[in-house]
Parts: sequence; C-alpha cells; structure tokens
Amino acid sequence: MRSERDDEKLMVQYLLGNLSEEEQVRIEDRAFSDSNYMGALEAAEADLIDAYVRNELPQPERRGFERRFLISPQRRSKVEFARDLARIAEASKTAGAVPARPSVWLSLITMARAWNPALQFAVVLIAVISVAGASWLMVQNRAMRSRVASLETERRDLETREEALRRQLGDEQNRAGSLAAELQRRPSVGAPPVASLVLLPGLSRAETSRTQLVVNSSAQLAHIEIVLEARDDYPRYTSELRTRSGEEILIRSNLTRRRTAAGYVVSFDVPTSALGAAEYELALKGVGSDGRPQDLGYYYFSVQKP
Amino acid sequence: MGCPVLLGRFYPAGRVVVDPAGETRRSKWSLTQQGFDGLLTALGPDRGTAADRYLDIRRNLVRLFEWRGCPTPDEYADEAINRCARKLAEGEQIRDVATYCIGIARMLVLEMSRELAKEARPLDKAPEPQTPPEPVGDPEFRMECLQRCLDQLSAENRKLILHYYQGDKEEKIKNRKGLMQIFGVPPSTLRMRALRLREGLHLCALNCLQRQGRTSM
Repeated sequence: MRSERDDEKLMVQYLLGNLSEEEQVRIEDRAFSDSNYMGALEAAEADLIDAYVRNELPQPERRGFERRFLISPQRRSKVEFARDLARIAEASKTAGAVPARPSVWLSLITMARAWNPALQFAVVLIAVISVAGASWLMVQNRAMRSRVASLETERRDLETREEALRRQLGDEQNRAGSLAAELQRRPSVGAPPVASLVLLPGLSRAETSRTQLVVNSSAQLAHIEIVLEARDDYPRYTSELRTRSGEEILIRSNLTRRRTAAGYVVSFDVPTSALGAAEYELALKGVGSDGRPQDLGYYYFSVQKP
Repeated sequence: MGCPVLLGRFYPAGRVVVDPAGETRRSKWSLTQQGFDGLLTALGPDRGTAADRYLDIRRNLVRLFEWRGCPTPDEYADEAINRCARKLAEGEQIRDVATYCIGIARMLVLEMSRELAKEARPLDKAPEPQTPPEPVGDPEFRMECLQRCLDQLSAENRKLILHYYQGDKEEKIKNRKGLMQIFGVPPSTLRMRALRLREGLHLCALNCLQRQGRTSM
C-alpha cells in the first residue's frame, strides 16, 4: 500500500511530466473519480509552484518545472500569483513567524476594541464586579477554611479529652470494683463508720422526750446536728456535753450555723470513745458579738452501744 | 507523455516560447448551437444540471491539458468537447460523456505529440534558448489587487493564508503546526483550506486586474 508521502512524490513527478503514459492516465483517472485525490493533486501543484518561486527546487526539477509550467498563460499566472503571495506573506511577518495560539486576553481586548463605548463601559463594570466578587469569595473561602480547621482541632481536643475521661472513668470503676471487693471481704461492712444524731428544737429540749444515739462498735465518731429555731441567730455558738450526773464530757466553742434543707443547723463531731452508754445533756449557747453567751436550749439523749 | 506545443515552438534547450501569431489549429468541425444542445441533452434531461456537468467536464479537461503541459489548455479542452459533440450529432451513442471527453483529450495529446515529432529540428538549427517569459501585468497593480483581496478575507482566513505560505522550509513547517493547533484541524484539512483560500484569492486578484484593465495575471 502506498503511503501519503509516496503519493505526494508521485504527484510531483506527474506534474513535472516525468511519468509514463500509463502512470499519467492512472493518476488522472483517480483524480477525476476521487475529489480528495483531485484536491491533493491541486495542493501538490500549489506547493510545487511555491517551491519554485522560493528557489527551493533542485536544478533538474526546476528545469522540468519551467518546461511544464511556464508555457501556458494560466500556469504562468499561477506562478506569478504564488510569487506575489509569498512576497506579501513575508512582508506581513511581524514579531514572530510562528503563529502562536492567540492569548485569550489578547483576543478579548481585540474584540472589545470593536465595541461601542457604552458596551465597553458595561463590560468593564461587569469585569470589576466579577473581580470584586471573586476576591470576596476567596476571602470568605479562606475564612471558612480557617474556621473549619479550628473546629477540626477543637473536635480532636474533645475527642482526646473524652478518651482521657473514659480512661479515668475506667480507672475509677476499677478502683470502685476493688474497693467493693475489699468491703465485701470485711465483716463489718454493714455498720456505718459515723453515728449520727439530729436534735430538733422543741421536744428534744424537754426531758420528757429522749432521743437515742446508737453507736456501733465500728463507729469512730458521733455526728451531732442541732436544728436551730429562726430566732437563734448568733455569730458563734458553744456546745457543752455532759452526763446527766453533771460530768462534763466535751465543750465545743466557735461553732457556726449552716443552712440545710431542714433549716439552720449547728453540728459537731464527738469521738465515740468519749461516749459511754449513758444519758447525756447537751447545752447549746449562742455567743453574741459582745462575747456574752446566751442559753438557747438543753437537749437530752441517751447513747446505746450494742 | 506531455502535451505538445500547438501554438508555439518547442526548443531543444527545454525553453518554450509561446508564439501567439504562430500556426493556429483549425478544427474541421465547429460546434453549432444544435451540436451544443445535443451535448447538453446527452448530459442530462434538466438543462441547468446538464450545464453544470458541462462546466465540470470542461474544467477537468482544462486541468488535464494543463497537467500535461499544453500551452493552451482551454483551446484543447474546447477541441475535445467539440469532437464529442460531433460524435453525438452523428448519432453515436455515448454512455458517459465525461469519460468519453477524457478519452478524446488523451488522443489529442497523442496526435499532437506525433505532430511535434515531425516538427522536430536538429539542434544546430534551433534558435538560442530564451529566458522564461516576463511576468504578465504590472507587478505593482498585481500586488495592490492581491492586497485588496486579502483585506476582504476574514481576519481568521487572512491569518491562515499568510502564515501558511510564510517562511522557508523549517519555518513553514513550524508555522503550519501552529496553525493546526490554532484551528484544531489535521494537516490535510489545513492544506485543503489553504488551497481553497488561495484559489479564491487568485480569482479575486484576476477579477480585480480585469476591472482595472490591467490584464492579464
């Protein structure tokens, strides 16, 4: 199969009259039946003419060309036209010979020059708005990215903290588990370590009502809480605990009241070792700002040690 | 085999000089209106279409004689058509007029080659070789017309035709690659596009010169 280059060479030889009659007929028949081939033959003729006017043909071909092309007015006209076209093409050379792909900006500017001033103004305005819009979007985009990054960091911190808390919780649970196990191992687990006694105003102040404080063997302290009446408002309080026989057991001074759900209370702890199984009297005194004590009430209770 | 010189002389040195006042070829049969009508009828029932076909056939005949190096391709083409019309007038059945005309054209080329051979002269009797004929028409006007025709082209086509034919070998190849990129077409398409533009420009320039009475290009 003949390549395009071979075809081209054959066409040139045909145009220069260097082929046999048979080959000439073959080329002509193909040209008359195939428009593409006819076009290629015409293009080859144009290129040959150009090569001639540019002195690019070797001497033998040049002579053949002159014999073949310079005898008819039509072909001479073609040769002269090719010469003129080459001259104008060379003269039109500007900055560079290579017709580089025109830049989009250059094309736009060229196009814009042909517009009327109103259209030019409108386009410039649109361009300015577009640039401003694009800049704003870029700034927004950047801020958004920064915010997203910060949120991401925050999320990671929270995850880390959550993880730490989970670990801590796990540790606490383990500890609680081991403490529970230890408590189970101890036989006295059921008894509270602190004995509590709440003394209410009113009945407990009277000898007729006796309150009991049960002190288990495991209890180290007895927590005594005295609920005050609204009028018993002093900066300091003193509590004196004694047996019914008058033996003083404990005096606690400088006590302050505190608010609880039940009202104002004064509380203090007594070592259980100081309490025997007996009946006791507790005197509560309010100490005013002048330092003078004022009796507020006497409470009676008994201690039981099972 | 090339077309012999009918209206001029062929010199052994290879130069050809057309002699307008030289021997003129006389056809024994000339085309009459009746003969032309018969030819058109053979080309098709519709006269308009037949006329187009006639013009195609004549254009191809002119091309063929030009390719074969005839000095007067138009006259040879007309002679081939006349002979075909004559055969038709004589009642010959011709299936494909175009192919028949091409056949006649090739016979004409052979006939004239034989006549050329008879006219061949020894070298010592041949005149001195002559230089190629001077360009026809005023070069200045030719350039002016061509420039005007270029100005009539669209910017894209003007760029194409000027860049396509600009520069020497290497530069030309580079230019054409650039054009292929710009227009996004393969080499063959670019070549044909340039050729058609070139033909149009040539015709435009010829018409321009004719209008100015500065023929012929």
